[in-house]
Amino acid sequence: MMNEIVLEVKNLKTHFISNKGTAKAVDGIDFVLRKGETLGIVGESGCGKSMTSLSILRLIPSPPGKFVDGEVLLNGKDLVKMSNEELRKIRGNQISMIFQEPMTSLNPVIPVGEQIAEALRLHQGLSRKQAWDKSVEMIRLVGIPSPEKRAKQEPFQLSGGMRQRIMIAMALACTPEVLIADEPTTALDVTIQAQILEIMKDLQRKIGMGIIFITHDLGVVAEMCDQVGVMYAGQIVEHRDAKDIFNNPLHPYTQGLIGSLPKLYEDQEELQIIEGTVPSPYDYPEGCRFAERCPFSTDICVQKEPSLIQYGDNAKVRCWKYTNEWQDSLAKEVLKS
Amino acid sequence: MSKDLIEKKPLLQVIDLKQYFVLKKEAMFQTKQVVKAVDGINFDLYPGETLSIVGESGCGKSTTGRSILRLDEPTEGDVLFKGQSLPKMSKRELRNVRGNIQVIFQDPYASLNPRRTIRQMLDEAMAIQKVLPPNKREARMLELMQHVGLRPEYLERYPHEFSGGQRQRIGIARALAVNPEIIICDEAVSALDVSIRAQILNLLKKLQKEFDLTFLFISHDLSVVRHISDRVMVMYLGKVVEISDKSSLFDKPLHPYTKALLSAIPVTDQTKRGERIILKGDVPSPLSPPVGCRFHTRCPFATDLCRQKEPVLVELEKNHSVACHFAKELSS
Ligand SMILES: Nc1ncnc2c1ncn2[C@@H]1O[C@H](COP(=O)(O)OP(=O)(O)OP(=O)(O)O)[C@@H](O)[C@H]1O
Ligand SMILES: Nc1ncnc2c1ncn2[C@@H]1O[C@H](COP(=O)(O)OP(=O)(O)OP(=O)(O)O)[C@@H](O)[C@H]1O
Ligand code: SF4
Ligand SMILES: [Mg+2]
Ligand SMILES: [Mg+2]
Repeated sequence: MMNEIVLEVKNLKTHFISNKGTAKAVDGIDFVLRKGETLGIVGESGCGKSMTSLSILRLIPSPPGKFVDGEVLLNGKDLVKMSNEELRKIRGNQISMIFQEPMTSLNPVIPVGEQIAEALRLHQGLSRKQAWDKSVEMIRLVGIPSPEKRAKQEPFQLSGGMRQRIMIAMALACTPEVLIADEPTTALDVTIQAQILEIMKDLQRKIGMGIIFITHDLGVVAEMCDQVGVMYAGQIVEHRDAKDIFNNPLHPYTQGLIGSLPKLYEDQEELQIIEGTVPSPYDYPEGCRFAERCPFSTDICVQKEPSLIQYGDNAKVRCWKYTNEWQDSLAKEVLKS
Repeated sequence: MSKDLIEKKPLLQVIDLKQYFVLKKEAMFQTKQVVKAVDGINFDLYPGETLSIVGESGCGKSTTGRSILRLDEPTEGDVLFKGQSLPKMSKRELRNVRGNIQVIFQDPYASLNPRRTIRQMLDEAMAIQKVLPPNKREARMLELMQHVGLRPEYLERYPHEFSGGQRQRIGIARALAVNPEIIICDEAVSALDVSIRAQILNLLKKLQKEFDLTFLFISHDLSVVRHISDRVMVMYLGKVVEISDKSSLFDKPLHPYTKALLSAIPVTDQTKRGERIILKGDVPSPLSPPVGCRFHTRCPFATDLCRQKEPVLVELEKNHSVACHFAKELSS
């Protein structure tokens, strides 16, 4: 029962269209999420992680955003084809989201406890009193002391980490089947982070919640995730079992990313970085989107776009290095020189 | 404190700083509720150093940064910048000093004006602080964008057109634009992927070397703190519980809270992780902080003494101070 697919995303594309051109923010994303499983998503800042999650929930502001293509199947039903009415019932109930910047989604002038209670009344049909009590209970659960008092405060009166935990409490209040967590613990210290991750895992065990966990913290990926998708420039470039990715990253971008981690137990004067910048989403190159920065790039990389190919049993990678064409291309280069 | 810092005069002195917030009363006869967000802290910041502040969510890190700059007016205490008292300054004098002390805010979305393009924002910052004549600003803007890894054409965009991490980098560019002496970095790199984060950290270190820049660096990411800091200050519920040279703190933490904190760092190599100390007991609220040592409700070593008497910060080892009645016993 645990390996039933709960969410499947196929060829998801979301673009931003303006007089400056078309920005291909999300450009063909595929993945499956099973019950009780956690899929981590990591990748360069601006690569489309948040837009992917907002697209799943159809929360992209349009215009300028435009849903271009794809399917989002929740228990087999396509969210893309649903009416707004149907979607409202699903959001915050069957699928909920922890937003990256709490202040963008919390109402600044309504007490935080009230905001959680409202979701509970809407989706679970609780009475005013029941909803308030449950809301206070959720605030307690995420480790905020004096929850009765905190519930009555407005967002600006809370610290950054408390606001983030309010978002978490709100997202978990209705015990969703799928939780999309966008950088949910960036503002939390490691002890509270550990506690929050534990709460999520606990719910996962109890109700088989599937989690999409977007994070920059590779340590958290190692502790929390079963699978990892690495994104670069609007696409997934590597998809792995979480336990394999640190010891044996395949894609040159993933290799660079792991190489940039500061070492906790040694002193380094300068941290390793990936030279260069990501290509503009308004103007992606023809070949591999990482080619300009890649230490291995050859002719074929610049000329043709690689596709996401199966590699071994449990890995997918979008890189010419792992194809037969690679050998041919290298041979040609040798001939030329 | 690295050797050469001790001889220098502090650039910023924080003296017995307190920041209380009074909450709205809910009923007429209710007693006044006060959040003691920062409750009497002292520290010096030396030119050219990086002092990090770490500690549990809500312990008063951002508030410390905000009250230094009087973004919240401090309740009590003093802050001296080059010997001048910031709390006593007029608004006009303060405005001049703010060019020297910049903040990168924890919540970039809330701190960027949604109606200004990045170009307008940077230009305005440079104009107000009179750092460069108009004809030199363009080149400087392009340089700043490159520093923070954003494409030059993004200058024409508005904040909502960026991703979270891109917005954070705009905040960094804006702080750097006015050539400040001190930058308060409040979770300034928390939304960045590790590669861009590395690039920004390298940049900060380089600027520090070149211009003797000083950082007050607030972060939850202890591997970053370890990399960037000269000294580290640990806060708990509005108080400083430990302050030390970086290496001494990471190698030999003295306060039981610091020990628990360091043991909880997530690592990519699951075999390298040590025993995790899980804190039990009630997390106290700044609305009613425990008497005695504020950590006693969760401390595995707490005794009656801890429940009654508040420990003071004492220098137990060279440049390593801690506020715990039993720090000495526990360290041996
Ligand atoms: N309204 C908009 N108009 C044009 N481009 C946009 C708009 N909103 C977002 N983008 C672009 O879409 C791309 C993807 O953004 P997204 O927020 O998904 O990135 P992300 O991977 O979540 O990054 P981060 O790690 O920094 O949060 C970015 O390049 C961003 O600049
Ligand atoms: N304007 C305000 N009104 C009332 N209380 C406030 C206000 N600003 C902060 N506080 C309270 O002060 C305390 C310290 O908050 P602060 O933002 O300094 O924490 P922090 O250490 O930065 O935490 P985090 O790591 O979560 O960002 C919290 O209890 C918070 O609720
Ligand atoms: S396809 Fe080529 S350029 Fe792209 S990552 Fe692989 S080796 Fe590098
Ligand atoms: Mg994002
Ligand atoms: Mg803060």
